Amino acid sequence: MILKIALKELKEIVREGRFRITAITLFALLLAALFVSKSYYTSVNAQHSEAKKNARSEWVEQGQKNPHSAAHYGTYAFKPKYPLSLIDNGVDKYTGVSIYLEAHKRNEAQYAAAQDQTALSRFGDLTPDFVLIFIVPLFIILIGFNAFTRERESGTLRLLKSQGVSTWKLTMGKWLGLFLPVLLIAIPVYVLAALFLANIKDYGQFSLWALTLLFGVYLIYYAVFINITLFVSSLFKKSNVAFVTLLGIWMVSCLAMPKISTAIADKLYPYPTQVEFEEQIAVDKKKGLDGHNPWNTEAKKLEEETLKKYGVDSVQQLPFNWDGFLMQEGEKHTADIYFKHYQLLKDTYVNQTNVYRSTAALSPFLPTRFLSMAICRTDYTSHWDFANAAENYRIELVGKMNGDMAANSKYGDWDYLADDKLWSSVPDFQYEPASYTTVIRQNTSNLITLLAWLLLSFAALYGAVTKMKTI
Amino acid sequence: MLEAKQLSKTYQGKEALKPTSFTVNKGDIFCLLGANGAGKTTTINLFLNFIQPSGGQALIGGKDVVKEPIETKKLLTYIPENLMLYPNLTGLENLEYFSGLASKKYPKEEFLKFLTEAGLQAEAHDKRISTYSKGMRQKVGIALALAKDAQVLLLDEPTSGLDPKASNEFSELLTKLSKKGVATLMATHDLFRAKETGTHIGMMREGSLVEQLTTDQINHTDLEKLYLKHMN
Repeated sequence: MILKIALKELKEIVREGRFRITAITLFALLLAALFVSKSYYTSVNAQHSEAKKNARSEWVEQGQKNPHSAAHYGTYAFKPKYPLSLIDNGVDKYTGVSIYLEAHKRNEAQYAAAQDQTALSRFGDLTPDFVLIFIVPLFIILIGFNAFTRERESGTLRLLKSQGVSTWKLTMGKWLGLFLPVLLIAIPVYVLAALFLANIKDYGQFSLWALTLLFGVYLIYYAVFINITLFVSSLFKKSNVAFVTLLGIWMVSCLAMPKISTAIADKLYPYPTQVEFEEQIAVDKKKGLDGHNPWNTEAKKLEEETLKKYGVDSVQQLPFNWDGFLMQEGEKHTADIYFKHYQLLKDTYVNQTNVYRSTAALSPFLPTRFLSMAICRTDYTSHWDFANAAENYRIELVGKMNGDMAANSKYGDWDYLADDKLWSSVPDFQYEPASYTTVIRQNTSNLITLLAWLLLSFAALYGAVTKMKTI
Repeated sequence: MLEAKQLSKTYQGKEALKPTSFTVNKGDIFCLLGANGAGKTTTINLFLNFIQPSGGQALIGGKDVVKEPIETKKLLTYIPENLMLYPNLTGLENLEYFSGLASKKYPKEEFLKFLTEAGLQAEAHDKRISTYSKGMRQKVGIALALAKDAQVLLLDEPTSGLDPKASNEFSELLTKLSKKGVATLMATHDLFRAKETGTHIGMMREGSLVEQLTTDQINHTDLEKLYLKHMN
């Protein structure tokens, strides 16, 4: 009987002009978004692998030079573009795509897509996630706001009830009647996305499982909106009141709440500005060891300790090149400073994330958005993970250069040259993103919040319809 | 088949229906007459369990409608003054859907037979309800009763606003159903139809049933006199 009710709802919805127009528009939007991001993805990916190859050959073929100079010459770490960013681009647009790795300095990721775009991009991009997370709920509201009020206004509710149908069965039928058109739109998008992704060359970390998980999250989110829509529709006598109420709910949960929780998070745990951040690092650096300045107090202290340890009285007598050793010690010191300050940034980030998690209880949009970005690996956590990996690689690379210089040259011998043998002995930067198990563990609270939304909205719907009066 | 036992309904201190008792047996057509606000619709809504009684009981087939809302509805078909169906569905689709809600399944031909039996012309069966006249919609209501094999009909001014021919057709259908043993409770303003079609008449005024009689006891003129006497 539930299926019969659902089919009748579907028939009615489909025969109405309102549905046809919105469904076609929505579908066209999704297709356009998917194609736009596919072509963007393909071109970025091509540039990315090209740049990666170039960076490596530039490093390997840099010619003969002093290893420490090579460390200054540096190389680049490129952030992989993940296949699922096709669906949800997350914060990728703002985070930059490559990090310049050099001696003494931890650099920020550069060349964010947002820097290249015109002012027009401020009006938002047409991406699948925009349609899937913002627009589809609106579509649900548009086709479902009068699910009960229409029956009440036209008088069919009395006839329905006089036929002896239980209100819950009727509600489940209507629920399915809203869910099926949503599926009708979501499934082709899912299949198309899977086909696109499977056909992209070097798609790397793409797994159908992750795409399925992503759509599972979206479907739960839609179910929550269907519950809310039916709940409101059963509560009011008039369709227009139900519609305005639902629009209000949509605006608060999808537009206002994200802004409000960002504002709260920024207020409670503000990030330092770029200038402040760099200043703090500069202050700490000055206090410590300077690898390029042997007369620096810290350097003098290290010199005395080292001479004592090896039982010699000048740096020339050391079994290794003192300059290389000193520079590596300086490197370790600066790396520690960077680590400390980035850790502080990360703490702020974690605190902000916790604020978002607690405000997620107020809007189903928030947990969905975070889960979506996390599964697509386009959230800040993924970016952090990449930046940390790049930093570790930098420390290793510079360490190897300084180590080679210390081991193979004499103190004061700045003419020592290494060649491609050394350069190519440094492995290429390989980055493995966190496993999905880790991603899910990091997002357990978002998952729980979303499921709580699902259960509570179902319970509210059940309570409302069983108490609903016929007249 | 239908029984009101000291049935009453009070809205915010105002008595819409004072304790009232009557019985409608199989094959009876019980016509409730009375001015607007006399309590006719309240009585029907109580039998439908759309509103809760303040006192007494409404029984259908011996079962209390409050305690067994789903069971008692399986026995009845309700046709209000203006039977509202889904405008975007055809007559046949509406009939199929509403019968399905009452767990009645038939092949398509059977449904078409019910529509024809209810007097709906064949070319209208597959047209959308939005193109139907009121009389045609009321006929779908009768087809609904046929498909449901209803033993009780609850009618709330079903012929008001129908032209005399449509009204006559509707009354004939009621007589046909009553011969099959259907018990009918009908609120109406039409004294003529009540006398012609009805078997019993109850007159209501300000929430009480002031007169009960059978139609063979009285002629048209006396019925009108009696009605006016009660209303003044």
